[in-house]
Amino acid sequence: MSNVIAPPSVRALARAKGIDLEKFAKDLGRTYIAREDLEGGKPAAGPARDTSYWDVDHSQFGPVTEEPMSRFAQVAAANLGAANALIPQVTHHDRADVTAIEALRKELKPEAQARGVKLTALAFQAKALARALREFPRFNASLSPDAKTLTLKDYVHIGVAVDTAHGLMVPVLRDMDRKGLWQIATEIADLASRAQDRKVGPDEMGGASITITNLGGIGGIGFTPIVNPPEVAILGITRTETVTVWEGDTPRPVPMVPLDLSYDHRVINGADAARFVSYLAGLIADPRRIMV
Amino acid sequence: MSENHADLIVLGAGPGGYACAFRAADLGRRVVMVDPRATLGGVCLNVGCIPSKALLHAAEVIREARQGDDWGISTGKVSVDLDKLRAKKESIVEKLTTGLVGLAKRRRVQTICGTAQFTGDKSLDIDGAAWTFDQAVIAVGSAPVRLSGWPKDDRIWDSTDALEIGEVPKKLTIVGGGIIGLEMATVYAALGSKVTVVEFMKQIAPGADAEAVAILRAALEADGVTIHTGTKVTEVKASKAALTLSCEGGFEGSLKADAAIQAVGRRSNGGLVNPKSAGIEIDEGGIIHVDASCRTNVANIFAIGDVTGNPMLAHRATHQGHVAAEVASGHAAALDTGLIPSVAYTSPELAWAGLTQAQAKDQGVAHKVANFPWAASGRNLASSGGDGLTKLVYCPETHRLLGATLVGRNAGELLAECVLAMEMGATLEDVALSVHAHPTLSETVGFSAERALGKLTDL
Repeated sequence: MSNVIAPPSVRALARAKGIDLEKFAKDLGRTYIAREDLEGGKPAAGPARDTSYWDVDHSQFGPVTEEPMSRFAQVAAANLGAANALIPQVTHHDRADVTAIEALRKELKPEAQARGVKLTALAFQAKALARALREFPRFNASLSPDAKTLTLKDYVHIGVAVDTAHGLMVPVLRDMDRKGLWQIATEIADLASRAQDRKVGPDEMGGASITITNLGGIGGIGFTPIVNPPEVAILGITRTETVTVWEGDTPRPVPMVPLDLSYDHRVINGADAARFVSYLAGLIADPRRIMV
Repeated sequence: MSENHADLIVLGAGPGGYACAFRAADLGRRVVMVDPRATLGGVCLNVGCIPSKALLHAAEVIREARQGDDWGISTGKVSVDLDKLRAKKESIVEKLTTGLVGLAKRRRVQTICGTAQFTGDKSLDIDGAAWTFDQAVIAVGSAPVRLSGWPKDDRIWDSTDALEIGEVPKKLTIVGGGIIGLEMATVYAALGSKVTVVEFMKQIAPGADAEAVAILRAALEADGVTIHTGTKVTEVKASKAALTLSCEGGFEGSLKADAAIQAVGRRSNGGLVNPKSAGIEIDEGGIIHVDASCRTNVANIFAIGDVTGNPMLAHRATHQGHVAAEVASGHAAALDTGLIPSVAYTSPELAWAGLTQAQAKDQGVAHKVANFPWAASGRNLASSGGDGLTKLVYCPETHRLLGATLVGRNAGELLAECVLAMEMGATLEDVALSVHAHPTLSETVGFSAERALGKLTDL
């Protein structure tokens, strides 16, 4: 007798779908297979959600128009829904002094213009993040779907979320720990502009260590990004703001960038997240340390 | 294309053949079904399952009438009008076989009375007429095994002859104590024969659970049936006065009989369709081997039922028939279960499916056994049921059911719950927590599970 338990109707469905039940069950780490498993329904996590009350005829309340969700948006919605439902995530908030980075950017502006490269704050933040990942390897990891194995990565690839006309895209910059600022700035600009035209190749997506989602150019004082699995953390950045910092009795205006790190609590503890963001803020505040 | 062309042709109109033909027709195929018998339904309807059940029902009525005195119900001496009984049996068979004709017509299945033999892998001959076909399903069943070395004598019957009930012999010897032999013993003992069963194996109903078989054996013996197990018939002599069967082994000596039934098994009819001319492989036993999707080694030819070997049971053939029809019509299907129930419609009935305790032991399968004796079943006592037993074999680790054996009144009906439970992967807990109506015999299944779990309060 097979070790996999599946009612006859489920066995017949598996056969019709060409699914090898023994292998299917093994991959899921299960012994009992139900019809829903084969029909690609949501895994049995959390209470079953009844969304029937969402199904409302809105036009009874006033004029409405409808537009279909694009295939792209539907896939993104399903992935975001799964990530939000299945990963216990926490967001840690901090901020970093960008006085030194801003000074450096100003100082390098003539050279940047000469090179034809816009040396953005994001390039510095990405570089600092790459360095921080080398110091904290658990943030550069992926948890297997059955939550039994943690894969630690000996490379640093950073995804950059790009807001495009057709939806959110996340091209990935490779080996950020080994690249200089000029190159990073160039690559970010290139990928962002190609993303707008949907000209990012499949090999330029996926495989990231972590993702940065930067709303700094738009505004906000903080948000809670959703971890982009199989990554275990995502760094949100909002607009730099000059805040008052007291040095003894003396108030000093300091430009600060808000940092919001959402992380998978199954892999990362709160204290580690606080240390990680604190370390990252230190690198941003004193970019010389990135090289040390 | 020749005039005689079949999209799908089914050879045999038994329970496998007609199930296959009808299913294929329901899937939109143009089906031709050919069978040498004038009526549809094969052995099962004409000279097997159905007429034997009619006679077994009659036997039960006779037995109950005789036991009526116990309940203060007197019927006087029970007499049997064999002609009327035979007519009743035949009317039941006729009702079912003509019903099949209607079902075939409604599906526009063309039925041909004739003997089909392959002449190639896309052609065959039906009584001299040449036919071509795209796909074929072989469902020509099996026939009773004829023992060699026996004399030719009208008093030597096979199961088909026995179901004719031409007469009730005073002394009847049945060679073969399997399901068919025991059912015949049950019928003829009730009709008044002095029945002796000779079985070569160590127990009657070989393969069934020994504890359950002991209960059946005791009941048969109480009904006047003599049983010799581990006994071989070495010689049969026919004289004018009687048949004489010389025996060796468990019983040494000779048995005098007015008639003898050979019930030593069935042989596949696979060889009768000239399978080799279609390139179909067939073994020495006449069996055409198929995979779970009922495919033979020839891509467009399928085989189902008794021609594909053991267990030679109608319900297996029916399921295979559906599988073959579906696979032939491009669907993915297979008979992917080993749970083919076995039922002896004796008095009491004996029914089993899945692993018996002995099989589990032989195969080294970790197992435990839970049972419930029917002496403690209120329903059994209240309906004058004799001894009975429900026995579950289960996995001690997962509590999944691995097998079930029941002996007692209606055991064949009760087995269905156990088969469904096993197919669904049910555990003892599932069975115990399913509410069984009281008082029913089905409670004994729930009670067995409760007993295994230490929750039983009825013992």
